[in-house]
Amino acid sequence: MIKAENVSVKYLMTYDRIQSMKEYLVQLVKGKIQYEEFWALRDVSFEVRKGEVLGIIGHNGAGKSTLLKVISGILKPTTGSVQVNGTIVPMLELGSGFDFDLTGRENVFLNGAILGYSEQFLKGKYKEIAEFSELGQFIDVPLRNYSSGMVMRLAFSIATVVQPDILIVDEILAVGDAAFQEKSKKRMLELMGGGTTVLFVSHSLSQIREMCSKAIWLDHGEMVMAGTTAQICDAYAH
Amino acid sequence: MSEKQVRKGCAIALAVYVVLAVAFYWISGDQLHFRDENTDAITASEPIGELVQGMEIRQPFTAQADEILGVDMLLSTYARENQCRVFVSIVDKNGLTLAQTELSGAEIEDNVTRTVSFVQPVQVTPGTRYALVLTSPDGAPGNAITAWQGSTIATARAEVPVEISDRLLVNGDAQEGMLHYSFQTRSYFWFGTFYWYFILGMGLLLAGYCAYLCRMTRQGRSSLGLRVISAFQRYGYLMRQLVARDFKTKYKRSMLGVLWSFLNPLLTMIVQYIVFSTLFKSDIPNFPLYLLSGIVCFNFFSEATTMGLQSIVGNAALITKVYVPKYIYPVSRVFSSAINLLLSLIPLLAVMLLTGTPIRPAILLLPFGLICLVGFCIGMGFVLSTLMVFFRDTQFLWGVVSMLWMYMTPIFYPESIIPAHYMTLYKCNPMYHIIRFVRIVLIEGVSPEPKAYALCLIASFVPLALGAIIFKKNQDKFILNL
Repeated sequence: MIKAENVSVKYLMTYDRIQSMKEYLVQLVKGKIQYEEFWALRDVSFEVRKGEVLGIIGHNGAGKSTLLKVISGILKPTTGSVQVNGTIVPMLELGSGFDFDLTGRENVFLNGAILGYSEQFLKGKYKEIAEFSELGQFIDVPLRNYSSGMVMRLAFSIATVVQPDILIVDEILAVGDAAFQEKSKKRMLELMGGGTTVLFVSHSLSQIREMCSKAIWLDHGEMVMAGTTAQICDAYAH
Repeated sequence: MSEKQVRKGCAIALAVYVVLAVAFYWISGDQLHFRDENTDAITASEPIGELVQGMEIRQPFTAQADEILGVDMLLSTYARENQCRVFVSIVDKNGLTLAQTELSGAEIEDNVTRTVSFVQPVQVTPGTRYALVLTSPDGAPGNAITAWQGSTIATARAEVPVEISDRLLVNGDAQEGMLHYSFQTRSYFWFGTFYWYFILGMGLLLAGYCAYLCRMTRQGRSSLGLRVISAFQRYGYLMRQLVARDFKTKYKRSMLGVLWSFLNPLLTMIVQYIVFSTLFKSDIPNFPLYLLSGIVCFNFFSEATTMGLQSIVGNAALITKVYVPKYIYPVSRVFSSAINLLLSLIPLLAVMLLTGTPIRPAILLLPFGLICLVGFCIGMGFVLSTLMVFFRDTQFLWGVVSMLWMYMTPIFYPESIIPAHYMTLYKCNPMYHIIRFVRIVLIEGVSPEPKAYALCLIASFVPLALGAIIFKKNQDKFILNL
């Protein structure tokens, strides 16, 4: 389903990001353009088969989000290759496609289209999305009047309405109030039970233990360990 | 995509092609085959003198067209009735008379431009030297007419002297100026002659490509054409949603809302109309329509490029989170401006009706010009959005460049004031060709000459292809700079 081979991602970092032509020329004349190579990922290889739930753990800046971006096709690896078969729904940051001047209803269709859902699918599932989000009549109110919890609930409902082949989850289970969190966790488990391959990033070891079948541990862009959830979590905890 | 769908699509494409080819033949009519033009006349400033027997007024010229249908000349009778005859002839460089028309002095009105037609159109070779000769077999002092000469030409604001290449010869003596005359000419296009062969050839190519697509589908292989079509199907809905979003949010919190799409070009036109019809004297026929058609096209260009410029940087939040082909962003921005363009056609139509411009079938050719304009703007959007990612200065620079571009496009001034040596520069400007096309279709109500279509296509496709290449080469680096 997903096969990553020797994936490396290199960022070129300048101390101050040069974003204007004048600055660039000035720095060039001064001979001050220095790039520092920064490897966000180095030689990461792993394989995920259909229906598996892979947990990714590591400290901040370990390269977890970069890895997810590479898999979802947003970022091209500098070297190495990633093979992905199937549709991907990325839940990297919920609601990034929302327009706050539009109503909830309009945003369902806009965000759904961005996630790659078809028109018929969205029309058919609209009711389900609206119900799951528990927004009631707020669905016809512009998003700028929503509370942040409401926005998140809507985003979660849109992202999980589909049964994708691959679901990429980056720390999003803490959405809404306790009741909604419970509900969303149930939905996630439902999806995982339905044969969806899941890549799951979390800082909470208990969540990883509960939901994942396999795990990998990243540290400073390198893969420290790969194996079953229990092995990795035990090693990571020490 | 199934083979059946591909077959159906191909059949539709071929049918549309045939319908368009026939419709185009009907709409463009005579303009496909030839173009009639009147050559510029010099301002008549002084009479040459009585045309008496034995005198010869000879004006050499270089033919510019294929046929001369007639000649317009200002003739004067010295306010009396003359019983003389005048021969107007066209002579080639060997002295052979190609055509001759006889005018009777009694019929000539004083100080009126007279059209002299030849029985048969005079066949001439472009680029070859000929002469227009006026003689009279029986004119005598007190019983003769005269033609006029001059050495200046009228422009928008003043009479300017012209460099006279062909001096008027009276009895073989070179004069200071040129005869006041204007030829009605006709040029033939090879394209019109071979139109149906061309259509057949293109049709065969299209059919061949369709057959190729069907074969590829049957064998289960993908091809560029099919990939493009399936991308359209797949991302068409997203594109519509993004366009709808832009359109809905644009006027969301303004009182007049969508009305601004009509009002904006209309108000700009009124302001510029007042300024340019009082401050500058312009002799452009149907100036309001001339102005508005230029403004509508250029407003679209400026809006679409400015929006396209921001399309990647402005959607940074999305681009770094969700994978969507990146070309969607600039293209959808240009399409949302295109909706505005369509809306601003309504005031354009209103001005057409108000100024009494007849609406002819040629208006159906307008979509061609507009599609070329949209294609050009998408190309510009690709280039600008790419530049913007790497250099944020582009947005400020573009403000200046687009202003310069506006002055470099004949929007509110006539083409005739452009100095000849700058004309090459103007012809490199895609907007010049597209706006010219739109104006011919709207104001003159005829189809432009075949060359104008080719120029519009080039003006649209070359920037589009270049933009797409630049965008594709750099799109993987976007995310590192957002």
